[in-house]
Amino acid sequence: MFLDKGKGAAFAFLYGAVLAALAALPFFADLFYQTFVTEVLVWVLFAVSFDLIFGYTGLLSFGQALFFGVGAYAVAISVLKLGLGTGAGLLLSVAAPVVFAAFVGYFSVKLSGIHFVIITIIFALIASTVAETWTGITGGTDGLVFMAPPLNLGFLKVDLMDIRSTYYLVLGVVSLSCLLLRRMVRSPLGKAFVAIRENEDRARLIGYDVPRLKLVSFVVAGGLAGLAGGLYALSLKYASATFLHWSISGHAVVYTIVGGAGTLLGPMLGAGLIMSLEHHLVNLLQATDLVVGSVLVFMLLMAPRGLVGLLQGRRK
Amino acid sequence: MVSNLAVAILNGVVWGLIMALIALGLNLIFGLLHIINMAHGALYMLGAVVAWYVIELTGNFWLALAVAPLVVGAIGLVLERGLLRTIEDKPLVTIICTFGIMLVLQQLVLTYFGGTARRIALPITARFPLFDLQYPVMRIAIAAISLGLMAGLWFFLNRTRYGLWMRGVVQDREMAVALGVPVDKVYMWTFVLGSFLAAFSGVLAAPIVSVDFMMGREILIMAFIIVIVGGMGNLEGSVITAVVISLIHGVGSVFVVPSTATIFSLGFMILVLLLRPQGLFGG
Repeated sequence: MFLDKGKGAAFAFLYGAVLAALAALPFFADLFYQTFVTEVLVWVLFAVSFDLIFGYTGLLSFGQALFFGVGAYAVAISVLKLGLGTGAGLLLSVAAPVVFAAFVGYFSVKLSGIHFVIITIIFALIASTVAETWTGITGGTDGLVFMAPPLNLGFLKVDLMDIRSTYYLVLGVVSLSCLLLRRMVRSPLGKAFVAIRENEDRARLIGYDVPRLKLVSFVVAGGLAGLAGGLYALSLKYASATFLHWSISGHAVVYTIVGGAGTLLGPMLGAGLIMSLEHHLVNLLQATDLVVGSVLVFMLLMAPRGLVGLLQGRRK
Repeated sequence: MVSNLAVAILNGVVWGLIMALIALGLNLIFGLLHIINMAHGALYMLGAVVAWYVIELTGNFWLALAVAPLVVGAIGLVLERGLLRTIEDKPLVTIICTFGIMLVLQQLVLTYFGGTARRIALPITARFPLFDLQYPVMRIAIAAISLGLMAGLWFFLNRTRYGLWMRGVVQDREMAVALGVPVDKVYMWTFVLGSFLAAFSGVLAAPIVSVDFMMGREILIMAFIIVIVGGMGNLEGSVITAVVISLIHGVGSVFVVPSTATIFSLGFMILVLLLRPQGLFGG
């Protein structure tokens, strides 16, 4: 699709148009809806981070929640306990998960297939158990509530207690991250990831350092998931040990599969669609997971290439 | 101290035997169908929930123990025939698919059964003295029933035609097909049997833990730990590992905080995964 394969000009036009529409949103949508779209954008970032490791590199990681949670805590703890600013907190919400991802990834990429899936679940489970127990630092499952100081970008101050400014900050960070990720998956590095996904032995035979490339993908995905967690904590002014639970990774899995794995547009569409579905259905029936789970299973069986696959199929 | 330790050891063995049943179901499904069944914990939970309804209606625990696993087995049949059959050769896809099934089952139970945990009364209330404490006879009965079912499973796998087919398919699927084994049917009944075992252990666990819609979530991970440490496809390994891990966890919790014991057992599993991915008892 145009987000990763399209011609430069067409892509720039479409991306610009979507961004302009999103930037105009606060002028005609109420604060409640702005909060909702902020949340969607955060999960879009989380979903594309998962797509890098699963859709492009072919590694099904349920450990993304670990990095998401660490990112969220990086912001909460820097602001609440270390007295740092919001900017430093956001930087740490990338740096800390990167360190964790390097550690977890170092061991995990030695395994493949289902063993990889399970070791990432276990690492996430250890982290969430530690976070639940170590209440002095993390607040356990009750979590930490904090007041975010304004973010000083030099030329302007972003007031994070204001919903609209938070929305613009999240929109800016997420759209930039997605552009960077697009650059990455189109680069030779991104092609190498796909080569590993398609055939690991062949990738090794033509000279790729497979474990190292997997680790790179794992660490970048971890850093982005951490940034998503940091933005999430910043928009809620809250972080909790439940953010680290491996089942949180399930959100990213659902969005990516429904939208289409191995494309950047897929997880974005998936997150937008599923979250809108949940948003509108929650008043109708409380059972949102019922719909999410059913949509996931349905798409997996009927359209394994996701919404993007359906769109492409129709065009051909 | 001695009596606390004795209770911890007994609890460890009883819980270990329940976990062994859960792990056996998971391992059977993995060994034969190569499906990592993320919905296994939800099927365990469903067993306990169905049992709660049966007990609510009839007041009879033993009837519930007979009915609930059959109901969940039938659900397993529908899941395998309706959903999993087409994707059985793609392990990663089945993980995601069974994850979706897990979400649906949990949410269905939350909607109709409610989010509050409920208790099931012990059908045998007698206790016997253990040093200076009292130990419920019911738990001994649970352990005995688990052992009985395992013996039945052993007999089924080693002494019946279907069991022979199942072992044959695990060893060499193509050869089994060539020799006329109805592999498709074997797959189906294996999944049903796995669901049955999960639900059966759910009913057995119900009087010990409380019944709620999330009860399967942590159990699922424990079952994975047991299957991997014991060796994927190695049924005896699963039983031994289940009892040993529960004993270590139970006795360890007398001396350290339970969450510390959890962290250590998870860390141990990472070591096994890295150093002996075929499991401690694997060849």
